[in-house]
Amino acid sequence: MEDERLSVRKIVIAGVLSAIAILLGSTRLGFIPVPTPAANATIMHVPAIVGGVLEGWVVGGIVGTIFGLFSFIQAEVPMFKDPLVAILPRIFIGIAAFLGYRALRRLSAPWMLLFAAILLGLAAVFAYDVGQSSLWLAALVAVLSLAGIGVLVYLILKGESDVASLAVAAALGTMTNTGLVLGMGVLRGYMAPNVAWVVAVSHGIPEIIVAAIITVAVVVTWKRVETGRGEARM
Amino acid sequence: MEDFELLRYVTVGQYLPGDSLVHRLDPRTKLSVFLFLVLAVTFSTSYTANGILVTATLLLVLLAGVPLGYILGGLKPAVPLIVILAVLQLLFYGEAYTPYGLENRTLFQWGWIHVTNGSVQLVVVSMLRFVELLFLTSLLTNTTPLTDLTHGLEAMLRPFRRFGLPSHELSLVATIALRFVPLLAEQLEIIMKAQASRGADIAYGGRLGFVRTARQVAVLIVPLFVDAFRRAEDLILAMQARCYVGGRGRSSYVRLKFARVDAGAYLVGGLFSLAILALRNTFPV
Repeated sequence: MEDERLSVRKIVIAGVLSAIAILLGSTRLGFIPVPTPAANATIMHVPAIVGGVLEGWVVGGIVGTIFGLFSFIQAEVPMFKDPLVAILPRIFIGIAAFLGYRALRRLSAPWMLLFAAILLGLAAVFAYDVGQSSLWLAALVAVLSLAGIGVLVYLILKGESDVASLAVAAALGTMTNTGLVLGMGVLRGYMAPNVAWVVAVSHGIPEIIVAAIITVAVVVTWKRVETGRGEARM
Repeated sequence: MEDFELLRYVTVGQYLPGDSLVHRLDPRTKLSVFLFLVLAVTFSTSYTANGILVTATLLLVLLAGVPLGYILGGLKPAVPLIVILAVLQLLFYGEAYTPYGLENRTLFQWGWIHVTNGSVQLVVVSMLRFVELLFLTSLLTNTTPLTDLTHGLEAMLRPFRRFGLPSHELSLVATIALRFVPLLAEQLEIIMKAQASRGADIAYGGRLGFVRTARQVAVLIVPLFVDAFRRAEDLILAMQARCYVGGRGRSSYVRLKFARVDAGAYLVGGLFSLAILALRNTFPV
């Protein structure tokens, strides 16, 4: 069986995940109302994360690109009608998720806890930095990061390091999406940098939580279904 | 979620049949000229260049016979958002942007608000660019059936096979994605109805209850993913059973014909974009 960089399995899964991304973007299902200025957290980038985690960076990159293309075609706002904002950043969603998952998956529990401690440190530094310009934003960051890292630690202690790695991969993918898209938006002049920061923090964190929940649910269920079937593969 | 009929929302770049010059062009030509023009639009920041480009794209859309009302009508729900973002851009971006061809003069300043020549140009150029890209995407997707586009894409990527780019495989990904979108939409409808009949009320938990909403959406999304993966596994098995070995040495039933209009379109489109790009820093304003 010829297995080039794009095996049959990777082709089909990339295609199917892209279809889901397109479907999520066309129907209301892709948008979850959250209490932030941008009104909706989107989960349309989750198929790219799932692709990166399950099948590698090539599939993740492809699904991300198709998501970006579709987002560009569907865009009704000048900022997202710009290919450098809509398409270019999205290529990296699946790749970032892949890297995060691969790096963390092999770590045993004590190392994972060390990683969580490092995350806590980073979050503290970030909150302090944000606190220089806006105190309420810093409080928001602190509360949400503590909650998120708390959940991670709980998962690690419960022995579910794999789930924790999935959550971190989802967070990385979402941060790539939010960060790079808003970054390009600023670079191209659609948003002022401080506006972009506010949107990134207040909107990005609920989006990370939502993406983590959905990614974990999908991948865990899929793994259970896959091992349950015990199918032979050529 | 009262609305179960999802299939009607799924129109990826609706194809509008017609017989214009643009309709008759080879998809490869359309893809290439689209790319050239998008590049020209993306990197033009002056008033003049954008004026030329918006006229050019408008003429092309009229030539293709695509009704302007159709293109602009889809924008209606988004208009308030566009206006708000434009106002924000105008009021707050002033200091950071050096305008093209004009010196950065402050027009109005008050507290946070800082309107300059630069921010005015930014807003106008962004709007024009938005309209140009709208017209260009419409030109591509409204005049070409999507299957033609995937054939065109594969044909254009084929020369890169020698550098390791799996052109056939990539266009197959696109084809599979397009084929699965209506299938999965139907499946999603079935899942929604099944969950609703079991009493799962997908009432969104309000904006503060977004974790609850996420879990309720997961109730729909997870079965959708699982179903999609099952279909994927079936497809993989079917392809392997038919000894699918990728694109090497593969010929195609569909043959794309390159006509004289295509050569003309390539020439005009290419030269025009090249001119705009090359001269982009020499326009007066």
